[in-house]
Amino acid sequence: MNCELAQERIVTAAYSELADELIHELDRHLAACAPCQSEREQVLALRLLANANPVVDPAPNLVARARLRLDEALDALPPRRWYERWSQKLKNNVAGLQRAPVVALLLLAAGAGAGALGGYQFAQGRAAHAAATQTVAASTTTEQPSAAAATLANVASVSAIVRQPNSEIVDVSYNQVVPRQIRGSLDDPQIRQLLMVAAENSASAGVHDDSVGLLAAECRAGHSCQPSGIRDALMTALRHDKSAAVRQKALEGLEPYVAQDVRVRNAVLEALLNDSDPRIRTAAISLLAPVEADTSVRQVLYSVSNSDDNPQIRNVSRQVLSRVPEIQ
Amino acid sequence: MATDALSLSTPAVAPDGALGWPARRKVQSSAGMAASRAMGGSNRETAGQAQERLQAREVENDLIREAQAGSRSAFDALVRQYEHQVLRLALHLTGSEHDAEDIYQEAFLKAYRYIGNFRFECSFYTWIYRIVTNLCLDQLRRRKTRREDHAVVLDRAGDEIDLLAAVSDNRSFSNPARELDRKVLAGKIQEALAKLTPRERMVFELKHYQGLRLRTIGEMLSTTEETAKNTLFRATKKLRAQLAEMR
Repeated sequence: MNCELAQERIVTAAYSELADELIHELDRHLAACAPCQSEREQVLALRLLANANPVVDPAPNLVARARLRLDEALDALPPRRWYERWSQKLKNNVAGLQRAPVVALLLLAAGAGAGALGGYQFAQGRAAHAAATQTVAASTTTEQPSAAAATLANVASVSAIVRQPNSEIVDVSYNQVVPRQIRGSLDDPQIRQLLMVAAENSASAGVHDDSVGLLAAECRAGHSCQPSGIRDALMTALRHDKSAAVRQKALEGLEPYVAQDVRVRNAVLEALLNDSDPRIRTAAISLLAPVEADTSVRQVLYSVSNSDDNPQIRNVSRQVLSRVPEIQ
Repeated sequence: MATDALSLSTPAVAPDGALGWPARRKVQSSAGMAASRAMGGSNRETAGQAQERLQAREVENDLIREAQAGSRSAFDALVRQYEHQVLRLALHLTGSEHDAEDIYQEAFLKAYRYIGNFRFECSFYTWIYRIVTNLCLDQLRRRKTRREDHAVVLDRAGDEIDLLAAVSDNRSFSNPARELDRKVLAGKIQEALAKLTPRERMVFELKHYQGLRLRTIGEMLSTTEETAKNTLFRATKKLRAQLAEMR
């Protein structure tokens, strides 16, 4: 033990704060060190000297005065509200957890464990249910479960559901839409078939417009334009399509067949009577002009020339009717 | 000069141990505690005291809980329990009844306001002392800043009061001449104490005059026992240097 450490321990020993085993060690040092002995004597003298400034009990008057003043101050304080006490309790609980990190960690771990276990069991239940469904689907479609799961996104509709008796197994029949592409000539029957489907059912206005335009161009060009195929598609477009442009194209495509096909002529007459677009009705009149031997055309033209709201259409109709001898 | 009678170079303390250490009151090594436990009589006495202390602690804890729930009477009971100790510490530290009264007032108002924060991690005694010591430290720092020197104790009206007159002096050397010397000496000690830093002053006060353990002092001042010990060492060294001039 060196003198510096001994002098520190002299102070702690003087105030009874040094452990017994260290006191013995200090005593051995002091027995052999005169300066430290002197140091000890001075520290003990200071202890005595400081007692000349004693601690005294406060006078009763001082206590009474302080107590009275405190009572007045406490009386002046507003009472604490119930929510203040509750928020204080809450803060204490949170602070307690902060000061007990092990407990907080254990609680966190227990919560996370319970959550993970619950999640695992829930996922297992769902996986078992999905596996059962996929097994049935695989048995009917002979596809691997993963492939079936991938193609389920392209299901167009579900056509039938049959539940197996006394089980959770069901047979689900569904229709699938598979995106494909084909390339070929406009004369190719498959291309034409697709164009007619597009003209009748396509949800896209652009695709619908393109398909009707192409079919009409084919008909006008004199390519194969079968009455039961493309012509039907064009007549449907002329009658029902919402787009005036599409109806215009369909009308143009039907032009070569007005004279020879009564169904086409009737479709054009309907357009003349009912179409909302004056341009299509005017075009329909011009298409009917060369038609011969059809009284229904004359009657329609006569009716339009007398009663149509559009003066231009009335004029055009009169012009056509003025050539009545040419129209049979 | 009369103060020579208490020269630092002449220890006037009667040695308690082989080399004159004061009697040990509170601190015991683990070996010492084991030896104490081995002694049947003292062990029974200690167990009884411990039982009483636990019961008192339980009663106090009940009061604290009631005060936390908003009971004013429970808080008043706690005030009655500690007010003398609070005033004694504040009065001795500040040397002014006025300041002591202010510290008393502010300490118990703070205790009332924040008693909800008390979480029974330490004794209420430590908790209220922590509040009081912080207020006293603030007061001492303000006084240091103002460079005031309160060598005498003032009452509320500003008049000097004789603290020493209130202390009975049973020492063998007590006589009128010595009494005068002692008063002069007390003034010198107060001057020396006033020259310590507020923290050194506080540690010396709590250790020497209030007799608290260094561990408790560390808790009250929000520091470690080791730091409190080092601060006490510095304080005694400074005081000795100050008072050595009296020789």
